Amino acid sequence: MGGVESLQRPPPGLLRLWLRIPNGSCGAGPAAAGRAIGGFEGAAGGNRSPRRDAAGYVGRVKEMDETIAEFIRRTILKIPMTEIMEVLKTWDFLSESQLQSTNFRQRKEVLIQDLIRLCEEKHASLNDAALLDLLYTQRHRHRKIWDVFQMSKEPGEDSDLFDMEQFKSSFKRILQRALKNVTVSFRDTEENAVWIRIAWGTQYKKPNQYKPTYVVYYSQSPYVFISSSLLKSTLPLLGQALIVASKHHQIVKMDLRSHYLDSLKAIVFKQYNQTFETHNYTTPLQERSLGLDINMDSRIIHENRIEKEQVQRVTQETFGYCPLPRLEFAQYKLETKFKSDLNQSVLADREEPLRCLVKFSSPNLLEALKSLAPAGIADAPLSPLLTCIPNKKMNYFKIRDK
Amino acid sequence: MEPARAACRGGEPRTGVLAHLERLEAEAIRSRKQLEQQAEESALESKINKLRSLRDQLRADVKRRQATIEASTANSEPNRMAGIDEPEDLQRKQENMKGILQAYHFTGLSGKLTSRGVCVCISTAFEGNLLDSYFVDLVIQKPLRIHHHSVPVFIPLEELSAKYLQTDIQHFLFSLSEYLNAYSGRRYQADQLQSEFADFLAGPLQRNPLCNLLAFTYKVELKSQSFPFCARLMYKDITVTLPTDVAVTCQAGEPSTSQEEQRVAHENLFRSKPLHQVFALFAKKGEKLDMSLIS
Repeated sequence: MGGVESLQRPPPGLLRLWLRIPNGSCGAGPAAAGRAIGGFEGAAGGNRSPRRDAAGYVGRVKEMDETIAEFIRRTILKIPMTEIMEVLKTWDFLSESQLQSTNFRQRKEVLIQDLIRLCEEKHASLNDAALLDLLYTQRHRHRKIWDVFQMSKEPGEDSDLFDMEQFKSSFKRILQRALKNVTVSFRDTEENAVWIRIAWGTQYKKPNQYKPTYVVYYSQSPYVFISSSLLKSTLPLLGQALIVASKHHQIVKMDLRSHYLDSLKAIVFKQYNQTFETHNYTTPLQERSLGLDINMDSRIIHENRIEKEQVQRVTQETFGYCPLPRLEFAQYKLETKFKSDLNQSVLADREEPLRCLVKFSSPNLLEALKSLAPAGIADAPLSPLLTCIPNKKMNYFKIRDK
Repeated sequence: MEPARAACRGGEPRTGVLAHLERLEAEAIRSRKQLEQQAEESALESKINKLRSLRDQLRADVKRRQATIEASTANSEPNRMAGIDEPEDLQRKQENMKGILQAYHFTGLSGKLTSRGVCVCISTAFEGNLLDSYFVDLVIQKPLRIHHHSVPVFIPLEELSAKYLQTDIQHFLFSLSEYLNAYSGRRYQADQLQSEFADFLAGPLQRNPLCNLLAFTYKVELKSQSFPFCARLMYKDITVTLPTDVAVTCQAGEPSTSQEEQRVAHENLFRSKPLHQVFALFAKKGEKLDMSLIS
């Protein structure tokens, strides 16, 4: 049950073949790669003079600026007016005085022209622009669909002395060795997570900045969140880079997908429903809010009070007392024989399983499922296929006859 | 002797032996019913009387007890009659018990019975400071299983439960407690360094979630000159709070002999003492590091 894409670390002999070592430019060895990495990383300060780094951007600064300017323009265009100031402050590329001198009350197009001019004065590099795009996506993470991947180690491996800087440089090096043209940007966040933005190119084409892949990795955990990308062919290389850089053995795609990254995180790290019974409890655990108001007139008698309490109790036991993480859908692919109560049915006589797809959609699926039994629409307890979604960390199911 | 059903159907009074017999029978039934009712009534009456007397007894009892309580509270001395539990005494005992149960989590490993099993609370501490608590909710069924927990993802809970949960739960809990206490201790040391001794740090403290790899640059005053050192602490054994490997290097090229001495001394200090204590030593000594403190 469950679709599995499993990537394993290939034996060392095959590794070089897979990574397609380019013919000449990176042949100088790790030292050159180290310098190249140094050249790409310095996003915050901005580079004011043409750089001589390995990617060969020397002498093409003017031409690059056009595309960078367009890229920055399109990125800022996406940001709502109310957030622009904050995002620019976080970006930390334009100076305080430059920001003060800009009129933020103009029409957006005029404002953007001013900002582009300021960026050009400061010679914004591709990395600066990429970082701005990453900041926008961090703030508007729900605009992407996120897949969850799980990495695993060999059993019995040594405890993991994870070094974030080593991870970043290793990850970047692997991608750059495989594809000469790739833009990689990093941003650390609290809770030991790192956001990575990758714009993909090939040996002969510059990276396409408008179809990047975003990766969120929580260090020293097996979970990686990757934005669904239109460039499916890049996924194997990305998986490879992740497991080698983080010293894992294989990476597997989980059947969990949603727009809401924070909810996905709550599900895989089991951060919802964290009430535990202790002797120190300050709030009573028996929160029996029945939906039958206590303030109601005492002359009103609820005939089904006992049944309603029973349903509430079962629902609370299954779903917990706390707000549930937010998913938008659950999809069940059925490949089972058709079962019917009627004796004569064409469908029931079929030998092959019937294939059908059932999809539940909701603005907040788990809360909706929780409210089904109390609302009287379904019997409590609900089917385990529905209630197991957060526990099993899945919202895509394949169901076959046993 | 069945009553003739045809009797009295017409409505006119019938004469004759049968009619007479029927009348007698009806009377007998009626009087029997009356007797039964009377018997019931008297039974109920006697029951009511019994209940009334019981109620009166209980009321008298309550009055008596209240009188004794008032009498005893009127005398402030503990002039109580033995064997009677007053409500305040009970309440005091209950609060006492609640307090003891709440205080149990200071022992580091405590639990509370739940409807399906037990919820174990592991309270971590380091050097006498109480740190975070972690919970493991166990369901007591044939294969013992964990319902949910608040243990962080980088603690090898699955490994431990696979090895010990079914066979030796004590070992499981003690091992888990060891891992969690060590993690809390390391995190405490790193947090202390960042908050209390931030002046010594020349750059940000690099740390990972498990706090088993710390790298930082620090400077110590020696003869009114400060030399920056780079330190890298690795805790390969995650059940201990002291590093297994320490590497201290001088940041600026060629170290002089005094710097080299310091470097070695610092390495030994980091290996033998908790991190924040080392920096407390640096702070205390100020200009000169007393070599005799190296254990």
